[in-house]
Amino acid sequence: MVNVADKQSLKSFVDTSSAEIKYFESLREEAKKLLEIRPFPTKRDEEWRFTDLKSISNGYFKPIIKDQLDTALNLDEYHLPEAKKSRLVFINGHYSQGHSCIEGLPDGVIVDTITNNENHPKVKEYLAKITNYTDDVFVPLNDLSFNDGTFIYVPKEVEIEQPIHILNVFTNMEVAYFATPRVLFVGEMYSKATIIEEHVGLAQNQYLNIPVNEFRLYSGAHVHHARIQRDSKQATHISRPIAMLDAHAEYHSYTICLGAKLFRNEPRVIQNAAEVDFTVDGLVLIDGDQIADTHSIMDHRYSYGNSHQLHKVVVNDQAHSIFNGKIFVAKDAQKIDSFQENRNLLISDDAKVNTKPQLEIFADDVRCSHGATIGQLQDEEVFYLQSRGLTEQKSRELLVYAFALESVESMAVKSVEELLLREVIAYTNRD
Amino acid sequence: MLEIKNLHAVVEGEELEILKGVNLTVNKGEIHAIMGPNGSGKSTLSKVVSGHPEYEVTEGSILFEGEDITEMDADERAHLGLFLAFQYPVEVPGITNKTLLREAYNTIARANEREELDPLEFEDYLVSKLDVIEMKDEFLNRSINTGFSGGEKKKNEIFQMAVLNPRLSFLDETDSGLDIDALKIVSDGVNKIANQDNAIVMITHYQRLLNYIKPDFVHVMMNGKIVKSGDISLAEELEANGYDQMQKELA
Repeated sequence: MVNVADKQSLKSFVDTSSAEIKYFESLREEAKKLLEIRPFPTKRDEEWRFTDLKSISNGYFKPIIKDQLDTALNLDEYHLPEAKKSRLVFINGHYSQGHSCIEGLPDGVIVDTITNNENHPKVKEYLAKITNYTDDVFVPLNDLSFNDGTFIYVPKEVEIEQPIHILNVFTNMEVAYFATPRVLFVGEMYSKATIIEEHVGLAQNQYLNIPVNEFRLYSGAHVHHARIQRDSKQATHISRPIAMLDAHAEYHSYTICLGAKLFRNEPRVIQNAAEVDFTVDGLVLIDGDQIADTHSIMDHRYSYGNSHQLHKVVVNDQAHSIFNGKIFVAKDAQKIDSFQENRNLLISDDAKVNTKPQLEIFADDVRCSHGATIGQLQDEEVFYLQSRGLTEQKSRELLVYAFALESVESMAVKSVEELLLREVIAYTNRD
Repeated sequence: MLEIKNLHAVVEGEELEILKGVNLTVNKGEIHAIMGPNGSGKSTLSKVVSGHPEYEVTEGSILFEGEDITEMDADERAHLGLFLAFQYPVEVPGITNKTLLREAYNTIARANEREELDPLEFEDYLVSKLDVIEMKDEFLNRSINTGFSGGEKKKNEIFQMAVLNPRLSFLDETDSGLDIDALKIVSDGVNKIANQDNAIVMITHYQRLLNYIKPDFVHVMMNGKIVKSGDISLAEELEANGYDQMQKELA
């Protein structure tokens, strides 16, 4: 058992971590050292003002070993037809070969576990190389504990037509456990891929999900990355997705937050050369006592970069959404065009939103726009629809649906759009 | 068809009366015009009749086809066949005209135990109504009123009216903000919809609209009441002499 609160550090977590893995020993050693000196964040930290981690720092989370997994689990309903033969499945953080299917991908493409590719030069070159979040404990936790992980390699000028579905499911283990899914993606020059990363809680149990993603895009590489978080509403999910882009690379990510009692997402995109294009959009639909906290960084280090961030949020009941959007533009990074907008829709009296754009711009020839709105459904809109014969309930549903729709339409994969439409309807129809 | 008796109304939670005893009877096949200066309560009347939750009826009643609808929700009134063409149609990004109208049409059909239309049937039905306001079919897939010009918004109200085929329509300042070409199209649309089984009440400040849609009855509203009723000559008198003159005569 693991008690994270001990001495305000993660020492005990470390001591009892699953690290049964024989791979990547130096990475694990390094992570251990960091965890011994880095304190667990508390509400006294500026970056964690609104998000209280007490529930996990006071909680006990047990590592899961592979033998405990139910290999007979039927996951058919979570399959995407477009990714029938390009699916990796992880159960409670462990790779499940029986549930996965990788067939008929273009020559040279690798979609496999990281551990199976321990000696691949790109794994050696990139694993844990761009994930250095300052004073962070969650990446080291993942470094220390990840099992298997996902390694995707797309060779030069190869386009993978079918989306790759990384399905992380979480089962009810009757103990609170933690999982540390890991993705390493390397896209060579002018390669192209679509990644659907999904987290699904199969029951309403407690667990701690700490995924880390590293996406390294070489010149002209193009990635569409949809992230769908449907964790158990008792779960805690702390995400660290990071992408580094070379010249002319395009990275478009869309994070959909539906589940988890506490969701903390820290997407970060680093412009590593001139002329890149990226998107860090989000859609959050929460209710009950859910907390969804997005702290993003769009890091422009070179000239001619376009970035786009539309973060849309619907909050019901006593749920609480937090948004902190940082845009960094380095001194010599001229001609940056960055757009950030956070739109919040509150549909109950007790719903809460904190939003903070944070622009740190050191170049003088850039265009960075940002905006945040917090609103409720307008009575006049509801009346308009109602006067046409729609019930008040239906009118409100339709308006929330319309608010969320734009994000759904960005998914680029038909079955994912349909899945999200069902989720949006379930969210608005729940009464 | 419609019988408004001694109707008093306030803005919900406030004391000041906006309607101070309105009486009005509308029979099927009739076209009425309610004219009045700004602040006379004529727009409020149309909102109260269609069930806007912002207003509270403090006295009197509204009967529609003999049924008391005073306390009904707006959607229930729509199911009975009431329609309000808004003075300021609301923009609803993300919902297309088509989606709204199919939902509205089928909800009204269900409430009246009529057959619903499936998407294909409905599409045909919608397209058949486009002529009423000379609109192109791409109009159907645009978000409701979003980015529409003032004229397009008013045309859209009349298009919705044509599709939903209400028994009684209130047109609230449908002429405001229209240039002469748009006014002709909108008026033509209304004239095409008007028949012996439905009824229309136009709310307007100016006599201009009445050159295109001929009312059977004209009412003048002032200070929360209908103060004078007559035929089209009343509108002409107003146009010639203005509201001030009439107010003096009535005093």
